[in-house]
Amino acid sequence: MCAKMAFQHQAGTAMECLSIPITLHKERDGDTMRCGFKIGGGIDQDYHKSPQGYTDNGIYVTEVHESSPASKSGLRVHDKILQCNGYDFTMVTHKKAVSYIKKHPVLNLLVARKGVTST
Amino acid sequence: MSYLQSNPNRPISQSHYQGGPGDLPMPPAKEQTLMWQQNSYMGDSGIHSGAATQVPSLSGKEEDMDLFDLDQGYSQGFTQDQVDEMNNQLNQTRSQRVRAAMFPETLDEGIEIPSTQFDPSHQTAVQRLSEPSQMLKHAVVNLINYQDDADLATRAIPELIKLLNDEDQVVVSQAAMMVHQLSKKEASRHAIMNSPQMVAALVRAISNSNDLETTKGAVGTLHKLSHHRQGLLAIFKSGGIPALVKLLSSPVESVLFYAITTLHNLLLHQDGSKMAVRLAGGLQKMVALLQRNNVKFLAIVTDCLQILAYGNQESKLIILASQGPIELVRIMRSYDYEKLLWTTSRVLKVLSVCPSNKPAIVEAGGMQALAMHLGNPSGRLVQNCLWTLRNLSDAATKVDGLEGLLSSLVQVLNSQDVHVVTCASGILSNLTCNNQRNKVTVCQVGGVDALVRTIVSAGDREEITEPAVCALRHLTSRHVESEMAQNAVRLNYGIQVIVKLLNPPSRWPLVKAVIGLIRNLALCPANHAPLREHGAIHHLVQLLMRAFQDTQRRSSVASGGSQQASSYADGVRMEEIVEGTVGALHILARESHNRAIIRQQMVIPIFVQLLFNDIENIQRVAAGVLCELAADKEGAEMIEQEGATSPLTELLHSRNEGVATYAAAVLFRMSEDKPQDYKKRLSMELTNSLFREENLWNPDLGIDPDLQDILSPDQAYDTMYAQGPPSVHSNHGGRPYQQQGYDQIPIDMQGLEIGSHAGGNGSTYSQIEAMDVANGDPDINFDPINQLPAPPQDNNQVAAWYDTDL
Repeated sequence: MCAKMAFQHQAGTAMECLSIPITLHKERDGDTMRCGFKIGGGIDQDYHKSPQGYTDNGIYVTEVHESSPASKSGLRVHDKILQCNGYDFTMVTHKKAVSYIKKHPVLNLLVARKGVTST
Repeated sequence: MSYLQSNPNRPISQSHYQGGPGDLPMPPAKEQTLMWQQNSYMGDSGIHSGAATQVPSLSGKEEDMDLFDLDQGYSQGFTQDQVDEMNNQLNQTRSQRVRAAMFPETLDEGIEIPSTQFDPSHQTAVQRLSEPSQMLKHAVVNLINYQDDADLATRAIPELIKLLNDEDQVVVSQAAMMVHQLSKKEASRHAIMNSPQMVAALVRAISNSNDLETTKGAVGTLHKLSHHRQGLLAIFKSGGIPALVKLLSSPVESVLFYAITTLHNLLLHQDGSKMAVRLAGGLQKMVALLQRNNVKFLAIVTDCLQILAYGNQESKLIILASQGPIELVRIMRSYDYEKLLWTTSRVLKVLSVCPSNKPAIVEAGGMQALAMHLGNPSGRLVQNCLWTLRNLSDAATKVDGLEGLLSSLVQVLNSQDVHVVTCASGILSNLTCNNQRNKVTVCQVGGVDALVRTIVSAGDREEITEPAVCALRHLTSRHVESEMAQNAVRLNYGIQVIVKLLNPPSRWPLVKAVIGLIRNLALCPANHAPLREHGAIHHLVQLLMRAFQDTQRRSSVASGGSQQASSYADGVRMEEIVEGTVGALHILARESHNRAIIRQQMVIPIFVQLLFNDIENIQRVAAGVLCELAADKEGAEMIEQEGATSPLTELLHSRNEGVATYAAAVLFRMSEDKPQDYKKRLSMELTNSLFREENLWNPDLGIDPDLQDILSPDQAYDTMYAQGPPSVHSNHGGRPYQQQGYDQIPIDMQGLEIGSHAGGNGSTYSQIEAMDVANGDPDINFDPINQLPAPPQDNNQVAAWYDTDL
């Protein structure tokens, strides 16, 4: 039940699931702090259109650049971000998620991973 | 003050001059200069080196000459005392000379001041001081007056507020006029806008008064205030917007003008104004004003409409309900004032992404009206017209009378401007989709040549090549000139370039379009050899293998999960690539050399496996290509060896007649060298499963001629328009080039506008394609729409999918 919920979660409903804590230290890249991953999704997006075939409105890691802070932190592609620095990510707009991620130089993430936190 | 000095007959001047040479022999003036400078005559002496070299005037010259002669006679004409006396006199009048230069108005009339000017063509230093000092004086005076204005206004304002609120309309009117006068001066204007009570009183005067002069004065004042940020805020806070909107019904031109420009300034610079104008019913009134005929006025009205409608669906619907599209199209047709055409085209652009306005604009003749301006020298106008046309073009596929537009579009394909070419290609692609008349027209005006040239010169700019390839794909099938088009592509050396586009860096949407085009080109037997020589078959097979493997991997992964995940790349499902490549290979396999090559490519096992595919269309193209390949004995044997007999026999019972027919054909060809009784059994089987025998051996049966359109090749555009805010950089979501395109739009928000019909059924292309499926071939039960992801819950709100690089 938990496993299913993590990836087919209806935004706004209560959910309980296992998660992986990840600490990501951004690296300076010119004027910006770089994480080295991409996110997709959010409650304003249509996950049916996601080429990855995601199954809910969560925020997903769609790409992790090689030897980037993200890859060093252990973040993996298709991880679902549940929380970032204490902010809930299961019911955010894409833009809001981007702004939370950009906010701090260090990210304390909780992620759900298919096959690891669930089967 | 030249008149004071220019008279050389002045006695003192003469005596002075006489004194010069007498006192000091040659060269007198220079020496004098030096001397005077030593005597601290300094700047105001007016004597400069040039003085001695020229003689000022005729009379002066004569006298000088005389005197000079005299001097020679009386070498001691002036004593030292006399010279001192003259110098003294000049010294005493110095202040007068300065005063004459700086404050001429303070001098008594008629008094004579000895001048130090020798040479009327050279001003003395004091004289030259005159102009700047006058300017300085004026500045000081203005400054003093400004203070006065400010003081006056500050003192007068409480009084004027009282008068504006008076019972007596005449008093109010007088007060309003006075305030208007005051507002023309900067200082008092600031005093007015600094008084909220005053602005409120003006707004009240506008709202309550029926008196024209009162209204004029008050709205004139607000108009003046609207040039200042503070003034805008004051008007906004005082509830000025409803009052101003009310004035938009005024019959008086000047009141209207003041009201609309004030509202325009508010909309441009004051937060919250848009909503206030909408709530006050401003849109309806503005649309009504579109019937006026003052072009500059109309330009302001249309700009207001654009600001209001931009990104606001409700406003667009109000404009529609007020007959806005008809008026806007009429403006595009009737005027030639560039600014008005530009602002109007921008409103149309904003409206053209609204599904409700779109048909209304098209019906009002918007396509034709916009087409009129494609040759305009104004780049911004042309660009906006093109954007609008592109947005409209999917709703205009059934419109007549687009010959002019199509021919202009073919012409602008030659433009140097990437955005123009991009738009023109996109519009051509849409207008030629399933519209036979347009296809023929484009072919007749040389569209094929132009598109091939465009593709050749576009290189790997996919924002151009993709729509251009789509347009060519439409032009090469299903109309009377299609064969001509298929030949024209080859004759323009297009085949090589087009085949090359199957390779990286082409992205999937382009690849898919190219696959469809190659299929159509293969319909022309003369194209078979060049296609083969440029490696089309090899590339198609490679793509097929890659896509097939991808779908296999997917389905094995997905079988573990609860939901079938479709494999998308840049918005293209790999199933579509499979279907497209197999379809193209099917047509290519009509030719025996091609068949030989296909046989060598080890691709027959894949074709056979595809017979098991869930998607009927894929079954059909796979059966189709096998049918062609079975024409050769070697081919038939290879097919049989791959175990095709059993799935083919199964497919004889397919509800899709095309699939069943092809399966039958393959089986029949495979049975050529079989014993007679086998043939007989097969024949009976075939008769049982296929009622419509007449269809049996029609090689084109079941291949919907628009196969390439069926899985909505243009659906790619769906993602394009649904891309969401361009500010969010998307890498995978598929279409970076499209974002580039939109980034170039002068107003960056526009991207959002285009995105605003995101996600929905909005895709122009998919709508058309869906219709095509419905209308086109009743044999095709397969509805591509069912295969697509369910539409988002709320079409207007949910963006498509994109991701952000962090």
